[in-house]
Amino acid sequence: MDVSEEKRNRDSSNYDDRVDNPTVDWQVSGSNPVSAPIDSYSQENLISACPSSCSPSQMMDSFGQTLWYDPTSVQQAVGYGGGFSVQSNGGNASSSSSSFRGNIDRSLEMGWNLPNLLPPKGNNGLFLPNVSSFLPPSMAQFPADSGFIERAARFSLFSGGNFSDMVNQPLGNPESIGLFLQGGGTTMQGHCQSNELNVVGGEPHNDESTVVKEPNVRSSEQSKLNVPGSGNVSEDTQSSGGNGQKGGETSSKGFDTRKRKRNGQNSEAAQSHRSQQSEEEPDNNGDKKRNKEQSPNSPGNKTNSGKQQGKQSSDPPKDGYIHVRARRGQATNSHSLAERVRREKISERMKFLQDLVPGCNKVTGKAVMLDEIINYVQSLQRQVEFLSMKLATVNPQMDFNLEGLLAKDALQLRAGSSSTTPFPPNMSMAYPPLPHGFMQQTLSSIGRTISSPLSPINGGFKRQETTGWEGDLQNVIHINYGAGDVTPDPQAAATASLPAANMKVEP
Amino acid sequence: MASADKTINTDVPEKDVFAIHFLQSLSNLRIQNLFNSPDTTNYRVRKIKKAAYVSMARAAGGTSRLWSRALLRRAAKGNNKIVRFPRRKRKVTWKISSKRRRSDQRAPVVEDAAERLRNLVPGGGGMETSKLMEETAHYIKCLSMQVKVMQCLVDGLSPK
Repeated sequence: MDVSEEKRNRDSSNYDDRVDNPTVDWQVSGSNPVSAPIDSYSQENLISACPSSCSPSQMMDSFGQTLWYDPTSVQQAVGYGGGFSVQSNGGNASSSSSSFRGNIDRSLEMGWNLPNLLPPKGNNGLFLPNVSSFLPPSMAQFPADSGFIERAARFSLFSGGNFSDMVNQPLGNPESIGLFLQGGGTTMQGHCQSNELNVVGGEPHNDESTVVKEPNVRSSEQSKLNVPGSGNVSEDTQSSGGNGQKGGETSSKGFDTRKRKRNGQNSEAAQSHRSQQSEEEPDNNGDKKRNKEQSPNSPGNKTNSGKQQGKQSSDPPKDGYIHVRARRGQATNSHSLAERVRREKISERMKFLQDLVPGCNKVTGKAVMLDEIINYVQSLQRQVEFLSMKLATVNPQMDFNLEGLLAKDALQLRAGSSSTTPFPPNMSMAYPPLPHGFMQQTLSSIGRTISSPLSPINGGFKRQETTGWEGDLQNVIHINYGAGDVTPDPQAAATASLPAANMKVEP
Repeated sequence: MASADKTINTDVPEKDVFAIHFLQSLSNLRIQNLFNSPDTTNYRVRKIKKAAYVSMARAAGGTSRLWSRALLRRAAKGNNKIVRFPRRKRKVTWKISSKRRRSDQRAPVVEDAAERLRNLVPGGGGMETSKLMEETAHYIKCLSMQVKVMQCLVDGLSPK
């Protein structure tokens, strides 16, 4: 009943004949898909996928739906009509595809609600519209068939108009339908390249052509791509192909660039994994190279600068990957490689910190060093708090007018000084380069302002520290006071001695 | 560690930058007329401390550092200000905390210390250990610079 409905509902094409190919073991069975594992559906789905009685455009839609199997929608589909709704709603393609992509791993495990959609007759082929929507889960079940993949690739490349032609030819073998459903990463990935080539050569596709992405995307099991629509077919295919993951497919190598673009910061594990692949090809001999690592040569190891996969020049920051090779005599498990990289990164940074924290040179061992670092940070923070307390009590009214001071000084200093420090672009003020003397002047002017009414001027500043910046500052202040330049009018004094410093006097 | 320094950039601006930022924030505080009542010393202290941290974060590079971003965000939240950070061109090594569960298995000695460090360094909660140490290095440098500036200020202002 449903099958015939299907036929009637869709514009008839000559796909029906293809569907009924008895050689195909994808007969849609009437078994209850819900309970049955996905495996049982793989073939049935395939059948229905390709040759449907719908028009090419509809076919594409259904395929697209299939590939973008939306688990939620499918599961909600209670009956045959539900299946229809899933399929016929071409507009859902992209959304379902994106959601599908997110759920692709899940969908593979999900039981099909296909049985709901499948007519109890379990006939062949006529359920294509419905079955197609369930195709994605069955992907994993499809037998690997290189011819399949090529056909699928070609199939997917064709635009809607040519659909019938394309379908007719490869559909002679019902297996071709299963191309899309090739599950798991392995087979599809192996053929991703061919797919990619085909896809790139394809014409600009409309919605229906999004189907093209599906085999590649799905096969990669980690399709995080958005399927925006037709225009990105080639890119998606490549990137999906590039998503060859820990399955360790060699095809993934060809997509290194794409993968890097997206996973630039991702997983040393992936990197080490890829490098592991390259290790396996040349034998694991003693000539191991380590990227970015200048560590001292352990006995028997040769740690040269890293050699990258592919033909690119070794430029780790460019692509964001760190290529690691296992050292001689060490495990080549991707996890241990990543672990080693991470440990060395950490120890490298710890050495860096050791130089920063005073008194850490004698300390050896990570634990003690880290404790020292923590103590140092805590002490610095306590110092800040203590000094802020002091500031609050020492100077109850901080009445220095800084805007004028800074502005005029800045103008004056801009002319003659050269920038020594990089000013971050997000600084609120556009600072000119400031020499050290500026701080001294500032502090001296502040000191003069505050201290003059408060304390005896002469000999007011006796400072222990005479070295460095603080020493200069104190010297400047001392000199200013010693010279007796201080006048009750701080403003006059400021303008007199400083280049247009504007200091407000407290009343 | 020449190669290491090449990859880890912990350049910190000069003292002047810190000083200017700090003085600016202090004058802002002054403008707010907070210091009239002497019995709000604690309040003043807290304000000054907050101003010190914020100015340090700004001087150290604003939003180009993870810890400074976290610090500024924290401070802005306290003021109920909405802070918008420009998008970073470089990718940030954000690691979600769930990944840290796995890192607990790695060298637990290091990870315990890293956990304590995360509580100290602003924004450390979202960082992975290696990134955390990088940020700690920069944070230490900026902190010491800020301490020096404040010390100078206190010395310059304290009556003797």
